[in-house]
Amino acid sequence: MDVNRDKKHLAIAGVPCQTWGDLYPDGQAMKAGTVFEDLDMPFFVTEGTVKAGILPGLQPAGGMAAARMRTREEEERDQLLQQICEVSFALDDLTLYLDTHPQEQEALKVYTEKNRERKALKKKFAEKFYPLTRDCMAECSGCEAFCWQEAPCPWEGGCI
Amino acid sequence: MWIYEKRLQFPVKITKTCPKTAQLIISQYGGPDGELSASMRYLAQRYTMPVKEAAGLLTDIGTEELAHMEIICAMVYQLTKDMSIEDAKAAGFDAYYIDHTSALWPQAAAGLPFSAVEFQSKGDAITDLTEDLAAEQKARTVYDNLLRMITDPEVREPLKFLRAREIVHFQRFGEALERTKEKLDPSNFYYFNPEFDKTMMRSFGR
Repeated sequence: MDVNRDKKHLAIAGVPCQTWGDLYPDGQAMKAGTVFEDLDMPFFVTEGTVKAGILPGLQPAGGMAAARMRTREEEERDQLLQQICEVSFALDDLTLYLDTHPQEQEALKVYTEKNRERKALKKKFAEKFYPLTRDCMAECSGCEAFCWQEAPCPWEGGCI
Repeated sequence: MWIYEKRLQFPVKITKTCPKTAQLIISQYGGPDGELSASMRYLAQRYTMPVKEAAGLLTDIGTEELAHMEIICAMVYQLTKDMSIEDAKAAGFDAYYIDHTSALWPQAAAGLPFSAVEFQSKGDAITDLTEDLAAEQKARTVYDNLLRMITDPEVREPLKFLRAREIVHFQRFGEALERTKEKLDPSNFYYFNPEFDKTMMRSFGR
């Protein structure tokens, strides 16, 4: 009997390593707080409270009345920003998975695809609306002044 | 180096002023198991973490915790930005108002200021990763408690998201601990300190 192998499990915390499994689509992942179906472990107190469709937080401040007053441009901006948030979150979660599973080829493939998608969306957003990062300012054209501070503050709820 | 991205990781749009809720949620900003504490814990521990994957994970989770701090602050801000003196008094938020008006300041729900005493950076990989596992569970419990008490769906959605992240982070820290164990003496994980006894770490580490 290998004594060392038995001792390996004594007096130390052990967490089973996750194996690659099914992923939620980006929008659903954001709602669940993880892209991994296997790690979606809700609290009973919140069961049945998620309404299908858009997240309450994604609705414009001021309710439906304010929604009607929004211009088409604002709607387009919010929609694009929501897409960026969703794909970025999937990437946040996949990054942590790859940190502890650097050799996982399937994860790397999904990561690379989503990363390209995010890059293209951020470029589009900067061209049409405003830069999300300072790097995105390279995509802005026709700005007469420094446009980094033009965007609404994220905590104002004016943008996602 | 960090780069700021002008958006929240999870959207926050709270339309109803409620300083009472703000007073509870602020604990996840400056409280013992809050996001600021989490971020500082991981970003402090990573420098001496001997296994590269674990150090990288601490950087990435520490960074995500900063984004979570921003979500919590956005919630506190939106819950209090339009409060009146009467609102503050009725909610028991008057003491906070006296010192900070409606500005953000890191404190626990019961008023204790943020303190580095709440977290550890101990210089031993097993000790630190075990602390990180516990930290994620403590934060999850706080979110559970908040979710039992708060009914506004605009507040609950971001809280549910943040709670789910604690579970994912726990899983990742567990995996980082497994990676670290692989590089230690399997007959005695406590034979040496993997962060301090570097020569011994090199001879065991593959």
